[in-house]
Amino acid sequence: MNCGKCLEKLEGFVDRELNEGEMAEVRQHLSDCAPCEGLFDLQVGMKRLVKRCCDQSTAPAHLRERLSQILG
Amino acid sequence: MREEAKEAGLGLPEPVSLQPEPQSAGAADTSFNQEAIGYLDTLYRTALRLTRDPAKAEDLVQDTYVRALRYQHSYRRGTNMKAWLFAIMRNLFWDRFRGGRPEALSLDGDSEMSLYDTLPDVGAQPEADVLDGIAAQEVIDAVEQLPELHREVVLLVDVEGFAYKDAAEVMGVPIGTVMSRLHRARRQLQRSLLGYAREAGIVSEGKGESGE
Ligand SMILES: [Zn+2]
Repeated sequence: MNCGKCLEKLEGFVDRELNEGEMAEVRQHLSDCAPCEGLFDLQVGMKRLVKRCCDQSTAPAHLRERLSQILG
Repeated sequence: MREEAKEAGLGLPEPVSLQPEPQSAGAADTSFNQEAIGYLDTLYRTALRLTRDPAKAEDLVQDTYVRALRYQHSYRRGTNMKAWLFAIMRNLFWDRFRGGRPEALSLDGDSEMSLYDTLPDVGAQPEADVLDGIAAQEVIDAVEQLPELHREVVLLVDVEGFAYKDAAEVMGVPIGTVMSRLHRARRQLQRSLLGYAREAGIVSEGKGESGE
């Protein structure tokens, strides 16, 4: 696998959406290629950062109560 | 609900397939409701990022549950309830706040063909540790500034962990559209967050371009 191919697959790799063979190929390339590995780190870091920052909010208690009544 | 339950209790003969199952007012309903309420926080925070307004988010979530209850007979048990609820909420959001659902055909010119049209140069990227210095509010702002079609896919895939195929189902688009919107959304996020990092002095102007 070359860098171009790796970059094409990188988002699918980060999202674990590739098949096993492709996952292994990308993993192998990343272990051999520092620039692609750096890009991978950045993309994974971005994904984690977005998740961590956006998944903190919880529903207000009064909404939960109201819905419990509706659903109860 | 109650009328349906009463009817079911009358022991109506076949066909029952168009009706809620006879037991649905009892034990089965409770499990549906319990499972559904388990997604409250995840629905709410997604609604909050979509509407950017706590009061609207509450309304959106409440109406999502009301609609889910009304259409619970169309939910097939054992399938992905989270995706089903998100699809209801997503459609409500577009109908109510955006004046109708976007067509699956691209409003934003996305297509699988153009997915990798602008690959970044390897080596021209800042290092991942610049991300450590970015404040949570900056990230939330950057996400909320994405166009809705791009915002929703980031919320589904990156925040809520939907697989591409489930996000595609929620959004009513092909998987390739999920991938291309995600790609564009992430590029924009990266641009705004790294722009912020530069302004904040976390990463210096031009870092990365020098390479070595
Ligand atoms: Zn490479």
